[in-house]
Amino acid sequence: MTDPTAPLVLIVDDDEAMRRSMAFLFASVGLESQSFASADAFLAALAETRIVRPGALVLDVRMPGTSGLELQRLLGERGFPLPILIVTGHGDVPMAVTALKAGAHDFIEKPFKEQYLLDMVEGAIRLSRERLAKVERRRTVAERLTRLGKREREVLDGILAGKPNKVVAYELDLSIKTIEAYRASVMTKMEAGSLAELARMMAEAE
Amino acid sequence: MRVVALAVLVCASVFSPSVSAEDAVRIGVLAFQGSERAAQDFEPTIAHLERSLPGHRFAMVPLDLDGIAEAVATGGVDFVVTNPGDYVDLEQRFGVTRIATLESRDRSHPTDTIGSVVVVPAGAKRPQGLADLAGKRLAVVSTQAFGGWRVVWREMDDVGFSPKRLADLVETGFPMETVLAALREGKADAGVLRACVLEDAIAAGRAQEEEFAVVGERTVAGFPCRLSSRLYPDWPFARLAATSPDLAKAVTASLLSMSPTDGRAWTAPQDYTSVHALFRQLEIGPYEYLSRPTLTGFLRDYWHWFLVAGLGIVWWIVHVARVETLVRRRTAELTREIQERERAEQAARRHREERDQFSRLGILGEMASNIAHELNQPLAAITNYAEGMTRFIDGGRTDPAFLRDGARGILGQSERAASIIRRIRAFVRRRESAREDLDLDEVVRETLALFEGLAARRGIPLRVYLAGDLPKVAADRVEIEQVLLNLLQNAVDAMLDQPGRETGITVRTSRDGAAVKVAVRDHGPGLTPETEAHLFETFFTTKPQGLGLGLSICRTIVESHGGRLWAANNDDGGLTMRFTLPSATTEAT
Repeated sequence: MTDPTAPLVLIVDDDEAMRRSMAFLFASVGLESQSFASADAFLAALAETRIVRPGALVLDVRMPGTSGLELQRLLGERGFPLPILIVTGHGDVPMAVTALKAGAHDFIEKPFKEQYLLDMVEGAIRLSRERLAKVERRRTVAERLTRLGKREREVLDGILAGKPNKVVAYELDLSIKTIEAYRASVMTKMEAGSLAELARMMAEAE
Repeated sequence: MRVVALAVLVCASVFSPSVSAEDAVRIGVLAFQGSERAAQDFEPTIAHLERSLPGHRFAMVPLDLDGIAEAVATGGVDFVVTNPGDYVDLEQRFGVTRIATLESRDRSHPTDTIGSVVVVPAGAKRPQGLADLAGKRLAVVSTQAFGGWRVVWREMDDVGFSPKRLADLVETGFPMETVLAALREGKADAGVLRACVLEDAIAAGRAQEEEFAVVGERTVAGFPCRLSSRLYPDWPFARLAATSPDLAKAVTASLLSMSPTDGRAWTAPQDYTSVHALFRQLEIGPYEYLSRPTLTGFLRDYWHWFLVAGLGIVWWIVHVARVETLVRRRTAELTREIQERERAEQAARRHREERDQFSRLGILGEMASNIAHELNQPLAAITNYAEGMTRFIDGGRTDPAFLRDGARGILGQSERAASIIRRIRAFVRRRESAREDLDLDEVVRETLALFEGLAARRGIPLRVYLAGDLPKVAADRVEIEQVLLNLLQNAVDAMLDQPGRETGITVRTSRDGAAVKVAVRDHGPGLTPETEAHLFETFFTTKPQGLGLGLSICRTIVESHGGRLWAANNDDGGLTMRFTLPSATTEAT
């Protein structure tokens, strides 16, 4: 089984020689890659897996069938977490501009210097790690929130609004002692060591 | 007219020397039959006045129609005696008032004595009514005459006959019997006479009873003469508005008391309404305005037509202006379009010519980007593999399987590139080489003819030196032309924007041992050592849009002919491309 934190470069290009030679290039620097011959093949594969490994998507803009730009748009709609590197033909600047505006990480003009491609992929992978960590954190908080009961959730909201225990107790028509008990339970279930940590956790999950 | 009137006045003064012009009461008389006749007719009246009014001197002033009007207008007379028609005119224009009317005591209607008769020479085929006068020539004494024309005119008008339907209206002039003379002489077919003129003429023996017949005859009981018209009151005696009432009164009294002379006397002033009616009906004299509408009256009556006409004119002007502008604009558009089309055609022709050249060179400009793209893919892949292998080795790894993969990848992609190039070459050649015995001078001449236009447009002159006695070469004409064109095109490209451009390109043919040699010399920058080293390599180019195929193909062609193609910088700058082709005889041996 592969290391879930090892990066995986995804390649979508209709030219087999390009896919294979790029995979070879990535392999030479120890990067694992996975190639797809078309946008549709990529989408089909994506539907069955969840992206957990950091990485980048190297996307050829000119392809028969669903174009690179179209695929980029679809991925944007689905909250695809990996940065997208658009590969354009020589002098296809307008298309590159369009891709960047649509949220592409960067674009590479073909023919490209290999070092440049590798640098960009490296940068994208770094970015993807941050993005995935954030996604993971958000998922964790959401999961922990499900552990809270109705009363606990109300108390949590009161705490986050900065209200003292007695105000929360008054509003919920409970004793201060009960509120304190709930509060301790929330801290435990949310795995927060301090009120500050809880607040940061919740802010990030928003 | 004024001169005539004054002359008559002076004459009158001369004839009455005892009376000073200031004292005399002047009576203007219409002398339509001459002043003598007028004097004869009215002398008794003047004599009577002088007799009954001893305090006054009376002078008769014979005048014609215009003279009377002039005299009345200037106050040259105190009284006028004139025909009813003229009187009505003067009454209207100058306020002349009748004080007595002439009467004929021997007639049943003593005061209505003026009428007209239309006569024709007696004969079988004579017109019966006035309407039968259509197409005839009608003689009248004057078109101004009352009894002599206008009275008949009204009768014609009554029966709906317009004088315009007459062939001619012949004016004979006075005296009135001249009309009869005109009929006798055949100058007219019919004539108008004042009533009783005919009877007087017959009585005097100047005409025969049976000589003339009357047209449109009518009878008025008791009137002794033949008639073609109704009757009108006789001549009036009228005073001017400025004449003193006392004098007028005295003269009136005197006239009425005058005893008849020759059956004629003066009676109370008659009603001239019938005369007015005539003038009004004919729209002449005082009623001429009826036929000559005033501007305001006209505008009032026809304002809507004027409006329509005005709008029409405005529309027309606008229309004309609009049409003019449109025409001008369309013309301009058309001219512009024609010019644009000519420019476009010119550009298309130039484009076509150039493309012809390029297709002959085996390099289709349109193909360039496709070829470039196609070659880009294997080249990029090769680079990826090579780079990957380098990094792998640099990383201290030596997995032979990995490196083998890379090498296989490179191999596969080189093959792919090679096959692309084979396809391009096949496209460029596309035909079987066909050898024939060629005169190279002729091939050069023909190729230059093809190329001249392009070089001239670039401002580069071509110079040709042909050997003239070259042995034939066994070669493919099209391929050799292709080589030549390629070298020429390169020479032009090298010289564009170069200072030595006007020196031009020199093409020279010569014998080179057993072979024939062609040299294309330019005055461009020449070759750098680096360029020289790669000159014939496929895909080596120094041109921004070049593919690096031209010289490579040229060399292939020349070598396939058993010749040689090489480049050498000139001592004095520029480059000379040379190629040789073995002569046909040498090859045979």
